[in-house]
Amino acid sequence: MEKKVVPEELNFQNNDKMNLTMIPSRYARFMRTCVIWQFIRFVVLNIKMLIVVRKSH
Amino acid sequence: MARLVVLGGGVSGHTAATFAAKWLGSAHEVVVVTPNSQWNWIPSNIWVGVGDMSKQDVVFDLAPVYRKGNITYKQAKAVSLNPEGKEGADTPFVTIEYTGQGKEGQTEEVTYDYVINATGPKLNFAATPGLGDANGLGEYTVSVCTADHAVHASHELDRCIEKMQKGERQKFLIGTGHGMCTCQGAAFEYAFNIESKLRKAGVREMADIKWISNEAFLGDFGMGGLHMKVNGYVVSSKLFAESLYTERNVDWIIGAHVNKVEKGKAHYELLDGTMGEEEFDFAMLIPPFAGVGLKAYGKDGSDITDQLFAPNGLMKVDADYTPKPYSEWTASDWPRTYQSPAYKNIFAVGIAFNPPHLISKPAKSPNGTPINPTPPRTGMPAGITGKAVAHSVCDLITKGEGVQLHEASMAEMGAACVASAGRGLLTGTAAAMTVYPVVPDFDRFPGTGRDTDYTFGEIGLAGHWIKQVLHYLFIYKAKLKTGWTLIPE
Ligand SMILES: Cc1cc2nc3c(=O)[nH]c(=O)nc-3n(C[C@H](O)[C@H](O)[C@H](O)COP(=O)(O)OP(=O)(O)OC[C@H]3O[C@@H](n4cnc5c(N)ncnc54)[C@H](O)[C@@H]3O)c2cc1C
Repeated sequence: MEKKVVPEELNFQNNDKMNLTMIPSRYARFMRTCVIWQFIRFVVLNIKMLIVVRKSH
Repeated sequence: MARLVVLGGGVSGHTAATFAAKWLGSAHEVVVVTPNSQWNWIPSNIWVGVGDMSKQDVVFDLAPVYRKGNITYKQAKAVSLNPEGKEGADTPFVTIEYTGQGKEGQTEEVTYDYVINATGPKLNFAATPGLGDANGLGEYTVSVCTADHAVHASHELDRCIEKMQKGERQKFLIGTGHGMCTCQGAAFEYAFNIESKLRKAGVREMADIKWISNEAFLGDFGMGGLHMKVNGYVVSSKLFAESLYTERNVDWIIGAHVNKVEKGKAHYELLDGTMGEEEFDFAMLIPPFAGVGLKAYGKDGSDITDQLFAPNGLMKVDADYTPKPYSEWTASDWPRTYQSPAYKNIFAVGIAFNPPHLISKPAKSPNGTPINPTPPRTGMPAGITGKAVAHSVCDLITKGEGVQLHEASMAEMGAACVASAGRGLLTGTAAAMTVYPVVPDFDRFPGTGRDTDYTFGEIGLAGHWIKQVLHYLFIYKAKLKTGWTLIPE
């Protein structure tokens, strides 16, 4: 049988603690540093944070 | 002319002093007593600790800023308070000991009408044998709590990287150095910045990175964790923290009280009472915090320290300190005005005030050792409490004793926190988080204790950009440059 290695999933095997959590897929990791998407998130996060700052003063 | 004396020129004290000086103008005097000649944007020490920034990038000289802000600056440390003055003189005063300005070692009595204690934490390395002693950091571990510590940490890291490049495996141990530590967020950032640095240096495969902390679960951060909305679910920060550690292959030991450090080895006790030890080549373990050890004396010279301060050295304020079980903790236990109940002209802000109790669930090992994070008072609450108290003092000075004091309860304010997980304009990541409120209020928000519309977290490049922008923005603000008052705390 052909061996199918998914690099992102290898750490599940490191120990029992790591086996029982979730690991981001290649797509999720890509989106974390995708400049266009992150620019949008930058704007959104700033607005959300400013709302929390406003509520706190 | 009234005089406000601010003890400590860190995040909360600098905020309080600069706003008070602006609001009071030249009709009254604001004095800052602080032992350092430079201001440090502490959150960026993490980047100094991995060699991505220099010390000069995170500090600036205080003297010119205080000149510009019309603030009297005394480079000194406060030693004691005499809230009723002394024999023959009724005016309250602070005794200070100079650390600079050519008067090193000299003492002076600085009289005050109002005093704000913003002395922050004493880095209590001595609480864990081997982590340090009364003089500070020991020789076996590093720290990023001050800019100088971070420079030293960066050199040690470089040495480990050289060894790995020569083929020698290295073990990294990052986390908290005692069962009663706070500031897990800083250790978290340092662990992931090291991980990122090692990847960039091409030696990640040669490193074993382990996290050790007093949290009962990963992602507690001293706030009992947080719940946030993600993809249609409301989930605990535990899941996200464990996911990140697994993704980056950072193993973890939690519920740990590090009770002794030796060269290359940390000994610890776990919440289940078992003992363990962990070897390391490089360790950064945050020390527990205490008050800086100010004393207080009555008019007759008697020691009244216990009237003003808790046994941990932090100042008692308008909190409800009645000991109660976790199930009876309420949001109203938390202070609102930060006024000392003993003396109405004394206030404490930032880390210097004594919280009523933990935020995380208290926990003890079967041996009776408390192993739980103490409450964090991060930059935003430190700044907000500093500003609110400055406002109160200005009102008291300009409008008289009967005014309503300004309030800023940590059970009613949120906190925004950005935890770096590696630097880089296009490759950096950081976890951007907000919690609202900082102290969970299960009466207002049954279930999670917080408003999940305003409690969120996500990791990505955007978070890194925010962290980078905040670095420049807060240094700009602290230097009192044009428009500084418009930048929120
Ligand atoms: C490595 C690290 C990273 C962090 N990262 C973040 C982050 O990303 N975001 C965040 O929100 N928070 C962060 N924090 C926490 C943040 O730094 C603190 O919340 C904040 O500094 C607390 O402000 P403070 O004014 O109470 O204390 P400090 O800022 O520590 O200021 C206390 C001041 O008092 C002075 N002082 C000490 N003793 C005396 C004395 N006897 N007399 C007079 N003055 C005295 C000290 O020299 C200092 O200037 C981090 C902390 C650390 C250690």
